[in-house]
This record gives sequence, C-alpha cells and structure tokens, in this order.
Amino acid sequence: MSATTTFAETGQVPRRLRTLVRRAERQHLTKMLALMAPSVVFVALLFVVPIALFLFRSVDNVEIPKYLPNTVAEIGQWHEGELPPEGVYRALTEDLIALKGEPEAAVLGRRLNYSVPGFRGLVTRTVRQLPDTVPASARELLAGIDERWLDPVYWATLKQQSGRITDFYLLSAMDLKRGADGAITQVDETQAVFLSLYGRTLYTSVGVTVICLLIGYPVAAVMASAGPAAANWLLMLVLVPFWTSLLVRTTAWVVLLQTEGLVNKILIYLGIINEPLSLMFNTAGVFIAMVHVLLPYMILPLYSVMKGVSPVHLRAASSLGAPPVTVFRTVYLPLTIPGIAAGCTLVFVLSVGFYVTPALVGGPSDQMIGYFIAYFTNSAVNWGLASALGAFLILVIAVIYLVLGKVVGFDKLRVR
Amino acid sequence: MDKTRKGLAATVAFTLAIAVSHYASAESITVVNQGGSPGDAQKVAVFDPFTEETGIEILVDTYNQELAKIRAQVETGNLIWDVASVHSLNDAIGCDEGLLEPIDWAEHIDESKFEAVGGFTDCGAPYLVSPGALVYDADRWQGDMVPRSWADFWNVEKWPGKRALPFQPDQVLEIALMSDGVAPRDVPKVLAAPGGVDRAFAQLEKIKPHVLWWKSGDESMQLLLTNEVVMGYGWQGRVNVANRSSGRNLKIVWEAGYTSAVIYLAVMAGSPKVEQAIELVKYSLEAQSQARYAEIMGYPPANVDSYAMLSDENRANQPTEYLDRGMMQAGSLYIGFWRDNGDSIRQRFSTFTAR
Repeated sequence: MSATTTFAETGQVPRRLRTLVRRAERQHLTKMLALMAPSVVFVALLFVVPIALFLFRSVDNVEIPKYLPNTVAEIGQWHEGELPPEGVYRALTEDLIALKGEPEAAVLGRRLNYSVPGFRGLVTRTVRQLPDTVPASARELLAGIDERWLDPVYWATLKQQSGRITDFYLLSAMDLKRGADGAITQVDETQAVFLSLYGRTLYTSVGVTVICLLIGYPVAAVMASAGPAAANWLLMLVLVPFWTSLLVRTTAWVVLLQTEGLVNKILIYLGIINEPLSLMFNTAGVFIAMVHVLLPYMILPLYSVMKGVSPVHLRAASSLGAPPVTVFRTVYLPLTIPGIAAGCTLVFVLSVGFYVTPALVGGPSDQMIGYFIAYFTNSAVNWGLASALGAFLILVIAVIYLVLGKVVGFDKLRVR
Repeated sequence: MDKTRKGLAATVAFTLAIAVSHYASAESITVVNQGGSPGDAQKVAVFDPFTEETGIEILVDTYNQELAKIRAQVETGNLIWDVASVHSLNDAIGCDEGLLEPIDWAEHIDESKFEAVGGFTDCGAPYLVSPGALVYDADRWQGDMVPRSWADFWNVEKWPGKRALPFQPDQVLEIALMSDGVAPRDVPKVLAAPGGVDRAFAQLEKIKPHVLWWKSGDESMQLLLTNEVVMGYGWQGRVNVANRSSGRNLKIVWEAGYTSAVIYLAVMAGSPKVEQAIELVKYSLEAQSQARYAEIMGYPPANVDSYAMLSDENRANQPTEYLDRGMMQAGSLYIGFWRDNGDSIRQRFSTFTAR
C-alpha cells in the first residue's frame, strides 16, 4: 500500500520494482533475439551481404590503383592542356613493364576500355612491345610504340580514375560522363541508352500494374463472393498458370500472337479483321504477356482482403438506402484498399525486373533495363556498370514506395 | 544374388580395364570441345580414324568456351587437357595471355588451303566454320523474285514486308556494309576505319522500319517458316535443321556475301604432348577428315581441297563457288575491333533500334 502511495506522490517507480521489470524485459529481449537469430543470420549472409558487396562494385575501382601504383602516385603532376611530364611517362612505363606477360595486363586493359573504347588495344599493344628496362626518355618510347600516348584523353582517364573509389559507373548508368576537364556532361547522343530504358521500364511497369488491377479486381471480387465450390474452381484457374514456368507461358504467347498464330487465324475466320494484326514484337505483345504472367500476383492479395470484408457492412449500407454504386464507393472500395496496395506493389516491383518476356515478345523499343543488367553481368562481365544500373533501379523503387507510403499510408502498403 | 555379384565383378573389371588401358596407354591426348552434335561428328570423322591410324588414343572432354577453365589449368600447372577447341575471341585472348601455345603452323600444314577461312593465328589452327547468310523460302520466291544480294535484302519496293536480322550489332553491321557495296573481304577494314561504324548505321537506318529483330537461332527460322518475314539472315546449321525437321525448302544465297564464325584447335600452353597434339591438329585439318566432318555436320569444310570430296547433295548446300564472298569473324583487325568497341557499339545499337 505504501509503495502505491509513494508512486502516486512522487511519480517514481520504487527502485526494486524498476530493477525487476528491467530484468524481465531484458530476459524477454534475449529470448526473442535468440529465437530470431537463425533467420537474421540467414538473411544477412545470403541476402544483405551479397547485395551490399555487389552494390559496392558500382563504386569499386580496384584495378587502376592496384596495377598502376607508380602512375597513380605521379599523375597528380600532370595538368590539363599540356603533355604529361617525363616522370609520369616513366611511372607508367615501369608499371606496364611489371605487367609484361601477366594476365593482369588484360584485366587492366578491360577496365580502361570501359572508359575509352580502344584503351584495351592500346595497353596490350604497348605491354607487348615494351623493352625490359626504361630508356632515357620514356615519353619517346611510349609515343614510338603508339602515337595515342600523346593524346590527352587517355591521360585524363588515368587521372580521373586513379582513386580507389570511382563515380564512373554511377555516372555511366545515368548517361553522364566526366569530360577531359573533369566536369560532368551528357554522353554522346548515340550512347545515351539508360535513362530512356529506365523511363520505359517505369512506363511499362505502371501500365501493367493498372491493367492487372482493372482485370484482377472484378475477378477477385467474384471469387470472394462465390460459394466455396465455385471459389475453389476459380482459385484453381488462377493458380495453374501461376505454377507454370515463366518461359513456357511466354513462349505460348508467341505461338498465339504471331502473324499466322491462333488469335489472328480465329479473328480472320470470324470475319472480324481482314489483315492479320501485328500483336507481337511490339508494345501490345509485351503488355498482353506481362499482364497474363503477373495477374495472379494481383488477384491473390485482393482475394485474401476481400474474403475478410463482411457482407454485413454492404447489406447495412444497402438497407439504409445507398444505391449499389455508393455502396461500392463508400464501403467496399475503402475496405479493399489494403489489397489494392499490396497487389499493386507486388506487380509493380516484379514487372520492374522483367526482361525475358519483353525480349521474347517485344520489339527493340520494348526492351527494359533488366536486359542491359543481364548483358553487363553475363556477357560483357562489366559488373561495375551492372551494379550501378541495379543500384538506381533499387533507388527508383524505394522513392516510389516512400511517395506512395506518404500518400496512401504505410500501414496499407503492407503485404498481408 | 550370385548373378548380380558376377555381373558387378565383371563391370568393375571392365571399368578397371578401360581405366587402366586409358592411363597405361603412353600415347593418349585429351581434347576439349563444345560437345553436342558437332562433338559427335568430330569423334566419328576425325578422332576414331586418327586413333586407328596412329595408335594415339583421344580422350574427349567438353566445355562451354569458358576461358577461365583453361586459365585455371595453365596457371596451376595442372593440365587436364592438351588440345582445346576455341572460338576466335578466346583464341586471341588465350594467345595474348600465354594460355595457349604459339606454334609455327606453316612448318606442319600447307597454310594456303585455309586462306578462304582467314588462315592460322599465332596459336590456333582453323578447323570449323559456321556461316550466317541471306536465307529465303525457295517455294515462295522463284524466277525473277529470288533475292541475289544484300542490296536486294534492302530493296523494300520489290520485296515489300519484314526482314529478319539478329538483335545484336556484330554480324548486322557487317551485312549493312555489304549491302552498301563493300566486298565481304574488305568489311573488317572498312568497319574498323574511322566512319565505318557510322556508314553501317546509316545503311541500317534505311531498312529499320522493315526489320524484325530475332533473339535466338530458333526464332530466326520460325520467322521464315511462318512467313512473318520475306527473307532473313540465318545460320547455316539452323537452316539445315529447319529444312530437315519441317520438310521445307529454305535456301542460302551465298553469292550475296556471308559472315562466318571460325573455331580453332589450339595446344594448351605447357602441354607435355605437343608433338602428338600437333599430329592430331594436322590430321583434323587434312582434306579427307574435313570432308568427312562436313558431310556429317553440313558445315562447309575449312580446307579448300575438301570441296572436291563432298557428295553432290552436300556440295550444293555449301558456298563452293563463293569462297571469296565470305567474311570470316576472325583476324586480329576484326577481333581487336570488337574487343575494344563491342560495348559502346552495343549501346549505340540499342538506342538505334529503339528509336
């Protein structure tokens, strides 16, 4: 009794009680962490760490400082507008002599070639022709092997890219580059490919999401209000394509949509059209195939939310005299917003990463950013650029999520 | 039970015998190739008769042109393979990086027989070519309407409709230059010279609205077989398969000029069996071996003398009369050009096709 009085009077918890509560809380926390540990470790090791390591590649510049240590130390002496001093030529010559006959020369050449096409050939050629010792004039030696060593563009690249960290890949992913004077400028018009690809990726993803919502919402509503037997059948119809491999479904669309395909043949047979429609190798084909592939991801979250909407609410609204449209607008739609938000997020995020389907049924103007990420990862082995492109994609999705969260409310975006 | 045991014992003994015979045989070399039907054809046409003739046994391994696998063996000094089948880019890189053995092929082989396929490199001997060319449906276009040149391919007035080209800059830029009147043999020189790439893109600009870009060899044939396109660029191997499996009559227009991938045999750096390896390469490049291989695979032989030994039917499908119309995707100029400029050209190609 006295404890209560003290608490009420002073507003302070007695020390003993406080310690007990703290200890209990600590034990609870330890238990919780112990239970969570395996999943946290799993996610960290197999998800967070690899992604972080790969994202680091977008700024990593290991090759140049590692293989050209002397050049990197000396290049600061060089100033734009004149030929590099003899010391810089000498340093580069020493570095390149050390690489003679080593596979690292090819690795360095590959890295430099990202910045200036042709740099690889210059390096391999020079390394092959270098003598074993540096003569009196290193500049004459290099210029004698290849005149390009008198062109400042190669030296400017070496100077800009001499740090351990580089902004080269991130700038490239935004169609930007550093000019010879170090200022950031647009890349040549013929090379500017990525910004338009991001734009197209977002446009396609938003379009596919909206169409999925328009088609999926009524389907989910019918499923939710149907009897159990009918609902099961409908669910099966949604799930069977969901379980089929992406490639199989995409190829099936190719068979259906081609000029002499089933769709065109039926339409001509029915006399609806005279000339076959071009449904493939264009934006229409991409939308048709992607909507089909992604529709289950819209229907399933909508269905699960709609299942939980009690028909009592709707009946109450109707019995109070609301016409069907008003019931839908003021009761049903607001109650299903969490499903809409979850379905749209899922479909949008998945379609942003699509590239197999657009590659197979789309035309060249329908390629998405994933195509180039895959190309630079698998074929060109330019992991720096692949990682920079991926980093911006993650950034774009994060920004959209934050904006959407502010507008709709974060609690509604949660996938249930 | 007893039967099983006996069977097992026999199997073990048999396996052991094979293993022992392989390793006991002083004369055996290991070749790595890409496997599949070209690999099978190589065994029948080259390896088996070689073993019969020389007593040197050939062990075959397969890989997917991963240069890293060659690098790992050479750098650790732990060689599993003696001879490798490498495509032209890997041949160049492997030779530059000291992974393949430089060999003076002129000492062993008459190099003049291989000029049509681009000749030898410092390390590699050309043994297989895989061409890509103008393809049309001979049942659809006849008489005056048969396309004869890449200029015809560009002629959208006489042949209205779509054309099929691969969705990749290499091979396409080369064809564009051919359509602009560049002789196939001069294409690498023109392409690598200043303004060459611009000229090719300007030429492509003219037919861009009429092009369907294919992304796989399967698709290239599908477009022709379903009449989605009036003509297309296709690989010879695919044309053979398409004609055989669907009973159609697709024809290749060799005289228009064609491109050709070149595959080399090269000796792994540091192989203790260089002598035997060279023997095998020599045998693989002999006119008879090349003819046998071409007969099975339907690819043209690399050795020019082999054409005379082909069956009439096979020869009719080969560029026999048009060896000078082929542009080999090989040579230091060509390989160096694509190695240094491939990425930036691909970006330009992507913006170009999307616009």
